[in-house]
Amino acid sequence: MKMTTFLLAISLSLLSCDRLLVFEPGEVILAEDAISTTDDLQRLLVSTYDVLGNLYDGRVQIVNELRGDNLAEPDNNNDYKAVYNRETTFFTGINGGIYTDFYYAIYRSNVVLGSFDLVEDITPVNRTRITAEARFVRAVCHLGAVKMFAQPFGYTSDNSHLGIPLRLEASQDPLPRASVGEVYSAIIDDFNYAAEHLPSSNGAYATSDAANGYLAHMHFLMQDWMETVSYCDAIISSGHYALDTDLNRFESGITNVETIFGIQSFMDSDLLEDATFVDFRCESLRDNYRSDNNPTPQLTFSSDFINWWNGLGEGSGDARAEWFTSGERNFCNRFNGLDVFNVPLIHLTGIMLIRAEALSELNENFSSAIADINSIRSRANASLLSESADATLIRNAARIDYRKETLCEGTWVDQLQRRGTMGEDITIRGGSWDCPGMALQFSNTENTVSGFVLNPEGGCL
Amino acid sequence: MKNIIAVFAAIVLLSITAKAQTLSGFVYDINGTPLPSSTVIVDGSIGVFCDYNGHYEIKALSLGKHSIEFSFIGYLKKTLEIDITKGENNLNARLKEDAVMINDVVVVGYGVQRRKEVTGSIAKIDAKKITAVQTPSFEAALQGQAAGVQVSQSSGAAGAGSLIRIRGVASISGSGDPLVVVDGIPITQEYFLNRRAGYGGGFNNNPLASINPNDIASIEILKDAAATGIYGSRGANGVILITTKRGTSKTSFEYSSRIGFSKVASRPNMMNTEEYLTIRQEAWENDGGTGYVWLPHMSSSTDSPESRKAAYLRAVETNTDWVDETIGTGMKNAHSFSARTGGDKWSMYSGFAYDDNESYMLGNSYTRISGRINLDIDIAPWAKLLFSGSMSEGRNQRVSMAWSGGLGRAMSQALPYMPVRYENDTLVNGVSYESGDFYQWNTNWNMVAEREMKKWRSTENRTFTNAQLILTPLQDLHVKFTGGFDRMLVEEDMWEPEAFNNYLDQGNLYSNTILNWNVGVTADYRYEIDDTQALTFLVGSEYQRADNFSWDYYFPNSPSPVYSSDSLQSLLDTADRRVNLPTQHSFLSYFSRINYSLDDRYFFQATMRVDGSSRFGRNSRYGFFPAVSAGWVISDENWFNSKNISFLKIRSSVGKTGAANIPDYARFGTYSPTNNGITYAGDSILYPIQPANPDLKWESTRTIDGSVEIGLLQDRLVLEVGAYHKWSTDVLMNVSVPASTGFTNYWDNVGTVMNRGIELSIKSYNTTGRLGWVTELNVSKNYNELIDIGEYTPDAISGGSNDSRVIVGRPIGSFYLVEHSHIDTETGLPVYIDLEGNETFEYSNDIRKYVGDGLPDFIGGMTNSFTYGNWDLTALVSFSVGAKIFDSSAKRQLGVVSDWNMRTELFDRWQQPGDEATYPRLTLDETTYSLPSGFPWWNTSLFIYDASYMRLRNLTLGYNVPGKNEIRLAVNATNVFTITNFPGLDPEVVRDFENAQDRNMSANVTYLTPPQERAFTFSITANF
Repeated sequence: MKMTTFLLAISLSLLSCDRLLVFEPGEVILAEDAISTTDDLQRLLVSTYDVLGNLYDGRVQIVNELRGDNLAEPDNNNDYKAVYNRETTFFTGINGGIYTDFYYAIYRSNVVLGSFDLVEDITPVNRTRITAEARFVRAVCHLGAVKMFAQPFGYTSDNSHLGIPLRLEASQDPLPRASVGEVYSAIIDDFNYAAEHLPSSNGAYATSDAANGYLAHMHFLMQDWMETVSYCDAIISSGHYALDTDLNRFESGITNVETIFGIQSFMDSDLLEDATFVDFRCESLRDNYRSDNNPTPQLTFSSDFINWWNGLGEGSGDARAEWFTSGERNFCNRFNGLDVFNVPLIHLTGIMLIRAEALSELNENFSSAIADINSIRSRANASLLSESADATLIRNAARIDYRKETLCEGTWVDQLQRRGTMGEDITIRGGSWDCPGMALQFSNTENTVSGFVLNPEGGCL
Repeated sequence: MKNIIAVFAAIVLLSITAKAQTLSGFVYDINGTPLPSSTVIVDGSIGVFCDYNGHYEIKALSLGKHSIEFSFIGYLKKTLEIDITKGENNLNARLKEDAVMINDVVVVGYGVQRRKEVTGSIAKIDAKKITAVQTPSFEAALQGQAAGVQVSQSSGAAGAGSLIRIRGVASISGSGDPLVVVDGIPITQEYFLNRRAGYGGGFNNNPLASINPNDIASIEILKDAAATGIYGSRGANGVILITTKRGTSKTSFEYSSRIGFSKVASRPNMMNTEEYLTIRQEAWENDGGTGYVWLPHMSSSTDSPESRKAAYLRAVETNTDWVDETIGTGMKNAHSFSARTGGDKWSMYSGFAYDDNESYMLGNSYTRISGRINLDIDIAPWAKLLFSGSMSEGRNQRVSMAWSGGLGRAMSQALPYMPVRYENDTLVNGVSYESGDFYQWNTNWNMVAEREMKKWRSTENRTFTNAQLILTPLQDLHVKFTGGFDRMLVEEDMWEPEAFNNYLDQGNLYSNTILNWNVGVTADYRYEIDDTQALTFLVGSEYQRADNFSWDYYFPNSPSPVYSSDSLQSLLDTADRRVNLPTQHSFLSYFSRINYSLDDRYFFQATMRVDGSSRFGRNSRYGFFPAVSAGWVISDENWFNSKNISFLKIRSSVGKTGAANIPDYARFGTYSPTNNGITYAGDSILYPIQPANPDLKWESTRTIDGSVEIGLLQDRLVLEVGAYHKWSTDVLMNVSVPASTGFTNYWDNVGTVMNRGIELSIKSYNTTGRLGWVTELNVSKNYNELIDIGEYTPDAISGGSNDSRVIVGRPIGSFYLVEHSHIDTETGLPVYIDLEGNETFEYSNDIRKYVGDGLPDFIGGMTNSFTYGNWDLTALVSFSVGAKIFDSSAKRQLGVVSDWNMRTELFDRWQQPGDEATYPRLTLDETTYSLPSGFPWWNTSLFIYDASYMRLRNLTLGYNVPGKNEIRLAVNATNVFTITNFPGLDPEVVRDFENAQDRNMSANVTYLTPPQERAFTFSITANF
């Protein structure tokens, strides 16, 4: 009996020590404790902009330029080559990374939108603003993704073709691809809410003008000319923006006067003792294009682009010709001398040019369209459009200047695809505007659950 | 114990009795090898120990007949009669090895058992087999020693570890390594500490390298649920028990020394300049190019024909053999000294060792300095204190390898037309280089420059401390309190001069400390019901906790590495550093074991263990792991009467074990720290890190096991045949999830895995007498199959970048590639097989399929030991049959002609219509082979090879010098030759892995992995 008692005592000696098995992660925050104040929510919201900053420091722009016809085949970057040749697979890193980042931001936006009940100290004003900003970022990312990973709006008459997973709430459940029509509809809802509820001034963050700017571009791609003009008018007439007097929209330290929404590189000379703290959000553009400090930059312009430019007959009179140096390789000079700069995504120049083209499509208010085009051309010392230009001339001029002004900004391919959906005979480097490889392949993680429909690969050459 | 008492009694008797007659002689084994310290007992009461030559002498015997009993651990007792006459009498004895070892003591979890009583599957490895072989680390010497234990030596890097798999692998994302227990304490086994800041250098650290093999007394490998069940929580992948040497009452010393050298066992066959340029030119012309081909780092495809020609003509003037520049001869130099001593109430073992082990890779070495003290003290008749303490320091002089550089780069990006140094003053991209400066390409220094400029050392400081207090409050009741502490400090110390990184002199120190505490209490009691029945009870409780801390230190403008600068080391507390988040985990366990024996031939055992792990949430924190087993020694039955079968035992077990080898905080949903340092537009951010899975629970394995042990022909031939079936459920998987969820990975209990297999062990005494010949053979077959992975596809789990996946119905880590058919004789293009089995020229990731796996049909080892007089010769052959290997580097070395050097096998390429060739028409353009643009990795089954091999792993010739002291001289060769059809470097390969999942999934994938070394050593061992 004594022995039994003894053994029992030993075996029970460490019972009721469950607390010995409780370890929680150190300085990280448990998810259930992460959001309890407005500040928490605000910082989570800022993290969505942080993701945007990582996406639009040039990564997205470069990939979209490579899908278009402005650039030559990249020097040796295999991922870039895959995009250029429209043969991305789910093993290609850059498309997978971009896709993943888009949904990081979308997830965080959805968490923000679903967390208001956890925050007691939030004011109605903050709640509205934060909601609007979260929906803005969600819309920007859904739009960015659907343009890259699906055929464009208008590819099918009812836009029932496959788009991307439409994530409107935070969930770990796999989702199939929604149709492009459904995705665009949801994006417009988000942007409309944002346009209505965002402030007109919001520091580095989204404003109602930014939402209107995106809506203008979206409706332009959707060939909804009236809506395009309407949103452009709202921005242009707001008086908040003006054409820059010089040609450099990629400035540091200040928000360029024509930037409606963009990515900010942050500098603070007080943060560090002996140096200036710099949060670079421009590295992909800088490191892949700059030719003043690199004899073999990854990205150069194609000879077709140079030929197109030369075919316009502007010669060196157009100051924008300084953005490149033609030769055996056609170097880009647009970012030369720049180490740190902000990256505009929606700017007045672009708004003016799409309004001009939309007006030409509407066959109305030519004078406004011509004035916009000429104000942009005169800034570049380029030949002005005739005051009597007709719709065709206006449209052509708007397109020419759009291509010039947005060099390296990654939006030209959207216009080519839009024109393709309008029935124009658009060929991009020998491939149709809607050949399968124009839609990037999804991240390999989407292929981990049965049933997800991947994009067809290749087929462009 | 009775023998020892008798010996002491004899000493007492002899001290008080003086007679004239003496008896002396030698005790040998059956082959004539002396058996030192064997016991000689006269008439059951008077006894002595033999000296190191097996010699004994007993004085003062009475005249007349006496019965002399000779015994030695592991040998059958022998009793001889002698009629003692006046003067000197002589009697020699030859003892026969107890092949079945029924009375041998086997270490089991939390105790020992007689081998006869063991009802689980346990393989015991003698210490001599560990120290006999020159290996980078002791565990490599386990290869071929036990059935069901697959040991794959990873590479030829100094200090490199091995991949050990016991009866297959059941885990997928959690560690599949067996639990290693040293003197009762589970030790830290962390293989991925060298990956700090991406500087792994193509080399995984080896947590077992710091163990001095000379300190090891024995190794037991627990394989089935009956054996591992007592370690229930972590027994699913087997357990390795290491027992270190302890002291004796008699003082003795041992010194051993080993010197030798090593060379690469298999040399890469890369092209020289002429060969590479020929191949490249042909590819260029096949693609429609004219003139001279453009050359990476010298010209480009858009250069003018004149520029390309000039570059080509410059290239032919240089022919660098980069393999020669990275490999050479590694020297071995090891010394070990140990002492055993003791008194009436204490004993002590102390061992000290120095081992300097250079690999064949220039600049790479592993030096271990270690010391151990094991002290046993009888503090009272009812209390005993056992203390074990060891300290070791392993210094690994590092060089880049595999994908990271060094020899790996010599097999890839280092082109033969690039020189080691500039011959003339040269201006490149605006930077001027003087004659004699190291050559750069693509802003990278070449490997020789890196080796000479960069100072890189990893240091592992390891402390094992273990104390046991054993109380005997009642007869047959033992209560044991244990406490263990394992501290592992790994520091990766790297220094680069300004000339190297084009920035500034920079010293970085990446430091990892893992503290591992273990406390426990057990009580065992043996209750003999009657003369035929006995019960043994064991109950216990154990708590283990591990804390992992890491820091990164940065020393800009430092003139030297931290390890060689006292001033820098004094600044560690104030240096610019990043403190990484500590991780902690703990296990709390309660266990019990009951053994019942009947008539010393029926044995039953039941074990139960409850484990709690901090890695699981409250609802699933505890797991219950029971096992029952039984053994029956049939040959002890009265009715059993066989002339041929001298021993026959059957045993069987069924039980459940578990695994929890996942990251400490995998179940938590987490967000970034408050002060994470990341801002946007100057505003701080908060971001989610990982999703929560509060339902994460134990991975569990149910095992059924059985075996038969047979001794034939008076145990001259001993066989053991075993079989097992393991069914693992709730397998922990770090699945890739759709990125659209906002995360890319998620820990979940998903998989079901089955392992089943058979094992055969044979020991045969082929000849006895002056020429002795013993053969030991073990063969095992394990079949592994992934049964289920829920809704996930094969791509949900991948083995790093190794193209291995989870495919239901196939082994874990099967190769998932496009199937290659042949080279079309008309076009020279590769022909693939689509999912319907049709031939196609179209390469697509959509037609990837299972094309093989690294699972061998069977593996094994055969050791032949010959003795003749004082000479002995031992040869260990290890073999593996039926496994495939994926030569992942061949897809570049034998595929699209790119900026990699190529292997000479590529000469067997298609050149004109009608050619039947192994490799296709050469091209610089991956799309020629229908690969996606920008995707030069030609991932096809063309590079899946038969990895069957037979390797003369170890050959040792030894000589035991006659004399008073035991002195042994030996020469040893490892990896003497390998018979294989594998055209690559080494069919036995374990590449540098990224994590445990990669380690489970990607066995038999090689990617620029350094081949193993061939080493030759001479050793001398003296006992005195």
